[in-house]
Amino acid sequence: MDLLLPGLLRGVGIGSLYALLAVSFVIIYRATTVVNFAQPALMILGSYFTALFAVQLGLPFPLAVLLAMAALAVVGAVTERVAMRPLVGQPVFSAAMVTVGVFIVLTMVANRLIGPGIIVVGDPWGIEFLRVGSLTVFQSDVARTVLGLGAVGAVGLFLKRSRVGLAMRATSLDQETALAQGVDVGRMFSLAWAISAALAGLAGMLVGTGSGGLEATAALIALKALPVIILGGIDSIEGAVVAGLLVGVAEALTRVYQPLYAPWLGANFDVVVPYVILMATLMVRPYGLFGTPEVERV
Amino acid sequence: MNRPTRWRRTAGVLGALAILTAACGAEETAEEAAPAPAPEAEEAAPEETGPVYDVGVTAEACENPAGGVSNAGNGCIYLGILSDLTEGPFAPLAVVVQRGQQDFWGRVNGDGGVAGFDVDIDTYTRDTKYNPQDHAQAYRQIEPNILALAQSLGTPTTEAILDSMDADDVIAAPAGWWSGFNFEENSKGLVLASGYSYCLESMIGLDWFTANGPRPIGTVGAVGYPGDYGGDVAAGAEKWAAANGVPFAGFIPTGPNFLVGSQDAAVGAILESDADIFVLGVGPTETAQIVGGVAAAQAAAGIPLGSKLFLGAGATWNPALMQSPAAPALVGLYTNVSPWEDYDGESAGHAAMRAAFGDEPPINQGYSAGWTWQYPILAALEAAAANGDLTRAGLRSVVDGLAVDYEGILPSTSMGGDPNVNVTRTAAIGTPDAEQANGLRTLARGVTGATADAYEYTAACSAAG
Repeated sequence: MDLLLPGLLRGVGIGSLYALLAVSFVIIYRATTVVNFAQPALMILGSYFTALFAVQLGLPFPLAVLLAMAALAVVGAVTERVAMRPLVGQPVFSAAMVTVGVFIVLTMVANRLIGPGIIVVGDPWGIEFLRVGSLTVFQSDVARTVLGLGAVGAVGLFLKRSRVGLAMRATSLDQETALAQGVDVGRMFSLAWAISAALAGLAGMLVGTGSGGLEATAALIALKALPVIILGGIDSIEGAVVAGLLVGVAEALTRVYQPLYAPWLGANFDVVVPYVILMATLMVRPYGLFGTPEVERV
Repeated sequence: MNRPTRWRRTAGVLGALAILTAACGAEETAEEAAPAPAPEAEEAAPEETGPVYDVGVTAEACENPAGGVSNAGNGCIYLGILSDLTEGPFAPLAVVVQRGQQDFWGRVNGDGGVAGFDVDIDTYTRDTKYNPQDHAQAYRQIEPNILALAQSLGTPTTEAILDSMDADDVIAAPAGWWSGFNFEENSKGLVLASGYSYCLESMIGLDWFTANGPRPIGTVGAVGYPGDYGGDVAAGAEKWAAANGVPFAGFIPTGPNFLVGSQDAAVGAILESDADIFVLGVGPTETAQIVGGVAAAQAAAGIPLGSKLFLGAGATWNPALMQSPAAPALVGLYTNVSPWEDYDGESAGHAAMRAAFGDEPPINQGYSAGWTWQYPILAALEAAAANGDLTRAGLRSVVDGLAVDYEGILPSTSMGGDPNVNVTRTAAIGTPDAEQANGLRTLARGVTGATADAYEYTAACSAAG
């Protein structure tokens, strides 16, 4: 128990971050059936904007986070309008390839903005911790859990309870029918990109919390969301949350117990765990835990 | 929406993306994008009083003379740079390293150049992203046009081109301190390293700590990137431990954050380890996560801080870490070992740096590294020119026994020869201090260590730096 509980809590913290990132992928996929490979770049831009507002401009941290998310929402909406909208009706593969191009462009922009230094997001948690009885919990893990799952919950509520959310869900189910019902499908696409980018921006802030600061290369951490969306189901927000937590906890517990019980697997085996889960999922349940099984007539 | 309109829009979007991409990368890649107006690789066209030359040297003025200084009547020496300038793990340092090099050669050009030639290091600069394949490809691309490499960043990357350099008689200044670069069997006599090696760095640091640290060293450990410079750092720590009868707790392998996500695993392993001092062979953000993570975990467990201490080096440090939440932990637990004093040093070479760059210090210590690494290349060019032979073969022939004057930044030394005699075994020791421009306050300069001095340096400490 000495190792289990801290490992679980650490896993829930990092898993919430994975869940947030995975949901940002899923929202765009549900709206457009495109896996957006530009999410890592949007994430690191979120880190940058948070650092800009909180550290360089000295704004209160919560305001800085909200402004960074708003900035990312604008970036996401503009990207959709400029780069993705013209591809409506084209093969999904083409659109996915364009997102790779967008990733490269936005990464170069992020590299230029961040420059040769290291950015710190100015979070109030740092390496502080809380004591709950004999248990210690890092504040950064609490923040990741509360903010990550809170943001996902808020998006879920928005999609379920609001008229715009209903329109977005209708668009994701059948674009032509939604169009026939008067839904502005193009606007829904933009909104999906804006929400997704804002969530990626929040994830960027959460990646930057803790001790060390960030370099531009940290963008690639967002790719950890890919095993998560495969496990959860690429079109399921609930699946993304459950799978994010599962992957985070699996990773954290592997980190704790593998050196004790299977040291022959080598150092840093926890890094491999998400991809082992990914492969197992693809073999056993390729549409994921909560994904929609696709049946095709052959 | 008709199809032609859609395609026009698509083409427009792609065009806009291309323009944006080009604009964003313009500074680094301008030289790449530009057609390579090759300096003539023709056989010696000696002027009456000048040296003979072949590849990478032209009678015409430089395309992009360093410092923008073009001396009337001078020809041009083209030097290549293969570095990590955008997205690789060392880009934060390497961009500043390149600036140090530019200013160094700008100063040389400002002083009239080398034997009637200005120096151009920008036309053949390539970003190889710390990727050996990209490094080898870029080398092949620029090789027909350069006399030598003013920088080849990294050990695995430099090793990837070493056979080709050997065949082409191309010498290089390495951006790195792998111990193998000091030995003919590894470097083929082509790699002109400056300062100590990572291996000796660990020894000097631990020697200094033994004499000046807050307590005796009980057990030594190492943390780093395996197969990279972390291996050489760890090898030095292990050799130091063996020489001093101190237990070595082993090497804790980790990776950059973008590969492993976080340093949690390394922190866990450090906390489990018996070692009370660790030498680090990682990047700056990883350093902060490790030191900060250990401090936080120990504080949470009620363990007094200071039971685990850390030694780092140039590549593990970035001044921006003093703005990170780990700064208090770094101040208390981290000591930095550098091959030379940073920008604010007291030597004539440091004064020249400040004259070139200005009083406002550079963003990190890459600048002083980029500057200092160029002295052997300058010495080789001057020696070859003095011999009347600025061909590649002529340049290579002067390396063995080449005397290098670092203007006080490092002790003067000789390239080649017996590494056990010629290798530099001095360091500067620093401690984190937010008041200093580079985040480090120099505690001691020109530091030597008994173990490092006595070490029989007869082979590379590790198979790969």
